[in-house]
Amino acid sequence: MGMRTIETRDPVAPTTADGPAIEVAGLRQRYGSFEAVRGISFEVHPAELFALLGTNGAGKTTTMEVLEGFTGASEGRVRVLGLDPVRRRRALRPRIGIMLQEAGFLGDLTVAETVAVWKGMSADAGRPPLEADVLETVDLAAKAKTRVRQLSGGQKRRLDLALALLSRPEVLFLDEPTTGMDPEARQATWEVIRGLRAAGTTVLLTTHYLEEAERLADRLAIMHEGVIRTYGTVDEVVSTTGDQITFRLPEPAEPPFLPGAAPVVTGSQVVYSLAGEAHPALRTLLAWADGHGLTLERLEVRRGTLEDAFLRVVGDRR
Amino acid sequence: MRTDALHAVRLARMDLKLLGRNTTAMVNVVLLPFLFGLMFSQNGDQTFVLTGLPGLMVVFAVFINLVNSFTARREELVLKRLRGGQSSPAAIFGGAALSGLAVYAGQVALLSVWIDRSGGGLPRNVPMMLVAAVLGTAVFALLAAAFSGITPNAEFAQVAVVPVLLVALLGAPLMVPLEHMPFAARLVPTTPITEMMRMGYVGGPWVDALPWIGALVVWLGIAVLLVRWLFRWDPRHS
Repeated sequence: MGMRTIETRDPVAPTTADGPAIEVAGLRQRYGSFEAVRGISFEVHPAELFALLGTNGAGKTTTMEVLEGFTGASEGRVRVLGLDPVRRRRALRPRIGIMLQEAGFLGDLTVAETVAVWKGMSADAGRPPLEADVLETVDLAAKAKTRVRQLSGGQKRRLDLALALLSRPEVLFLDEPTTGMDPEARQATWEVIRGLRAAGTTVLLTTHYLEEAERLADRLAIMHEGVIRTYGTVDEVVSTTGDQITFRLPEPAEPPFLPGAAPVVTGSQVVYSLAGEAHPALRTLLAWADGHGLTLERLEVRRGTLEDAFLRVVGDRR
Repeated sequence: MRTDALHAVRLARMDLKLLGRNTTAMVNVVLLPFLFGLMFSQNGDQTFVLTGLPGLMVVFAVFINLVNSFTARREELVLKRLRGGQSSPAAIFGGAALSGLAVYAGQVALLSVWIDRSGGGLPRNVPMMLVAAVLGTAVFALLAAAFSGITPNAEFAQVAVVPVLLVALLGAPLMVPLEHMPFAARLVPTTPITEMMRMGYVGGPWVDALPWIGALVVWLGIAVLLVRWLFRWDPRHS
């Protein structure tokens, strides 16, 4: 299995020469009395990969669908390449690619026919669509003559990606692109996405796989209950979660309070979840251990992860 | 506009390809109206029945065909995919209508050969028949889109279209001349198509067709309103 990186696309300058490729300001989206998105703002720069993370129902897909122009915003301002996605749909659509979280295929068409039909619908963007090698890009060339209904779930996702790439989009919306893929296909898809970004494509990605965001995203936002709770580069977001110190006490003793952290003791296991860097706390802890003549067994300092940050954001407010 | 037309033609070509691969749909949409024609023309004036048959054919080739297609594609999220692409809603509807029109026109052409072989001669005012076909297709394609909005799934669509089929069969002047039918028959949307097709076949004057063209234009307006009210792009459960 080996998908190819896209190298053929000519980077096209976004409409907003110096401005953001995607701009969201004070977006609210209501469905009757339910408010799915509650006043979010963020920007995605040209050639940047921005990830929206969150639990189910956090408002990620709703935000994507507003940006894609499926529905107008209840309140707030959204612009993609400087254009209103609903009012300027006709001008914008040829310049963006959309991979929906869930979308059907015509099962009686073959893979090649599906691409051909879609290419026929993408030919008026001012740029020629990607040629037949789009199937090679997503490693489906061998399935070109297979009816779409016979593809596996992961293969259908790859075909989805191929269709989104056909018009050489300047902005690509990927809504959970690797759901249903095996680990190998997921890795290969990441390579394709990296290649797109390197070629100048702006990517807005939603995913449940934190590893995916950690590996791909330049910046990310964690959404919860329709609101962005944390926003920044992966390092900035991870830094909102402090380091963790764990060790075992060989004999009954009362572990000390460290700056900004209380011990959580389970049997002989002691855990400190810190607010920041471990260094000052570690110095205090080791001094305490020396003073009491204790050895801290299996002493470990672990850096906070994106998962820690995610769980803190989501868990704190559940 | 040009892009919309181009996309509509490409979508129509795709629809026809898919129709050709679906045996059940081919029988239901293409062959059944001929079987009805064969059945109804056994007694009485065969030419009268057959020249009115296009009024029934439009229900099969356009309405039933597209109710099934719109409903199944909505539930399988194909409409959502199409809407997520570059084609405009007008091109998506236009493509569906064009494929229906192609099937319908093919049926009417075959029917003309049948009528000619059975002694009824060839059509005398083909342009009038074309106008009836285009307007009739537009009305029934839009009605199909609206009807699909209240049809929960593709399986139910098979049953849901039956009342419309019965109205077209019994309420329009297919087997009985319009002057022998109650006034309500004039309000059935297949009646103008049946009358214009018959007039076109025997070479009736355009002036006689004008009221029926007007009736179809009114139906077109009603169908547009119904589409705006009832049509759905997303599955009913979403």
